[in-house]
Amino acid sequence: MKKIGFFLGCNIPFNRPDIEYSARYLLNELGYEIVELEGASCCPAFGTMPSLDLVGWAAASAWNLTIAEEKGVDIITGCGSCYGSLNEARYHMEKHPEIKEQVNKILAKVDKEYKGTTKVWNFINFLYEDVGLDTLKAKIKNNLNGIKCAVQTGCHNLWPSRAYPTNEDNTFFPTRLREICESIGGVAPHYSTITDCCGMGALRSTASEKSLALFKKKLDVIKQEIDPDIAVTGCSSCLLQFDAGQALLIEQKKLDYKIPALHIAQLAAIAMGADPEKATAMASIPLNGVITKIKGGN
Amino acid sequence: MEEGGVNVIDLTQADESFVKELEALGADELRECIQCGKCGATCPMALAGLEFFIKRIVHAANLGLRDILLEDSSVWGCQSCNRCVEICPMDIKPYEVIQAIRRAAMKVESCPANTYEGLRNLYRFGHAVYPKGYEERRKKVGLPDKPPTVISNDEMRKKFQEILRNTILEEIAPFPLD
Repeated sequence: MKKIGFFLGCNIPFNRPDIEYSARYLLNELGYEIVELEGASCCPAFGTMPSLDLVGWAAASAWNLTIAEEKGVDIITGCGSCYGSLNEARYHMEKHPEIKEQVNKILAKVDKEYKGTTKVWNFINFLYEDVGLDTLKAKIKNNLNGIKCAVQTGCHNLWPSRAYPTNEDNTFFPTRLREICESIGGVAPHYSTITDCCGMGALRSTASEKSLALFKKKLDVIKQEIDPDIAVTGCSSCLLQFDAGQALLIEQKKLDYKIPALHIAQLAAIAMGADPEKATAMASIPLNGVITKIKGGN
Repeated sequence: MEEGGVNVIDLTQADESFVKELEALGADELRECIQCGKCGATCPMALAGLEFFIKRIVHAANLGLRDILLEDSSVWGCQSCNRCVEICPMDIKPYEVIQAIRRAAMKVESCPANTYEGLRNLYRFGHAVYPKGYEERRKKVGLPDKPPTVISNDEMRKKFQEILRNTILEEIAPFPLD
C-alpha cells in the first residue's frame, strides 16, 4: 500500500475538520495509507516567521519536513499557504546551501537534520499526477451527475512556479482542477476571472471590507458567466472565503444569491461515497441541493 | 496612509541606508526595478483598491522612504500570492521586497495586532491559527478532540519552541519566550 504523510496545518484541523474527515476518507478510498506527522506544527504561515527572517522561516518549515523525512514519506496538504510556505522554504534551502547549513545548525539542537528528500503535494496535483484521472474515475461511487463547478485553484497552488516540483502547463490558465471535477462527473467551464485572488488571508485581516468587495467582484463574474451549482476550491483558505466569507456578504445584504462551496477533498470524498453530513459538517452555505443532485434527484 | 498619504513623495525623506537594509533583508534585486508596473497589474491589493500597492511600495523602497513604509499597514495586507514574482520582467521578486520591509518593521516592533497574535500563537501552541472551540467541531465529524500535531505532543512542542528560540525570534519577539 502506498503511504502519504498528511500535513494538517491550522485551519483544516481547527476550523474546518470536515475537510480533514473528507481528506482522510478520500485517501483511504484511493488506496493510500495515511502516515500521521506527529508533532508537526504550523507551516509556518506567511505573516509569522517568513515575515521575520529567511533562516527562521526555513528552520520552522524544515522541522515539519524532517518529521516526514524520518518516516520516509511525501507530504500532502489541503491548505494553499502550507503548500506555499513549505515548498518555498524547501526551494530556498535547495538554492542556497548556506541557508540549509544554518537551518541544520538550529535543528541539531533538537537532534534533527534536514536532508531535502520529501516532496510536498497539494490535492490538485496529487489527484492529477499521483492518483491519475483514470483511477479517480474508476473508483467513483456517486457520480457528480453533471453538477456545474466553478473552480478556484488558489494563489499558492500556482505561484511562484519556481518553488513547485509540478504545476499547470500555464499557471495563468489553470485546467487541472477543472479536469478533476470533470473526471468525477461534474462540468467545470472556464471563466474570465478564474485566477483572481479570493481575498482571504492577510488582505482579509488587514482590510476586511476591501477583501470582501474583491471577493464579491469575483463571485459576480462567476454567477454571470457560468452560474454554477457549486464552487470548488483547491485551498482551505479560499474555502473559508467562499463559504463563511460569502455567508457574511449575504448577512450584510451585499449579495442576493448563494453559491455553495467545497474543497476538492470534500467533493471527491463525496464522489467516493463519504457521508455527506460529515463531509460538509462545517459549511455555512447549505449544500442540500447539490447533494440531492449528486444522488440523482433534481 | 491608505487613503492617499503617499501621493506626494518627499525626497528629503529618502534614506539610502534603508535601501541597503532592505537589500540585506532579502530584497537583493531591489535596485533593478524599472517601475514598469506589471506587478501592480496582477496585484490583488491593487485590485482590492489599496492605494499603496506593490508597484508603489517597491518605488518607495527604492527611494528609502523608511517612515512611510514602516508606518503604513499595506505591506501587511499583501497576500504573499507571488503573482508579482511570477511576472516581473527584471526578476526583482517584488514579494521579497514586501518581506524585507516586514522584517525591518518587526525589528522596531511595528506590526499589526493580528500579526502579533499569530506569532505568539505559533510560539505558544505551535499553530499560528488556534481558534477556540475546535474540539466540538472535530467531535462532530468523528475525529479525536485534538489533531496529532504539536498540540497533542508536549515533548515535540517544546522542541519546536527550542528551534524558534534559536532564530531571530529570540532577539525581536514582542512577547516573552517562556
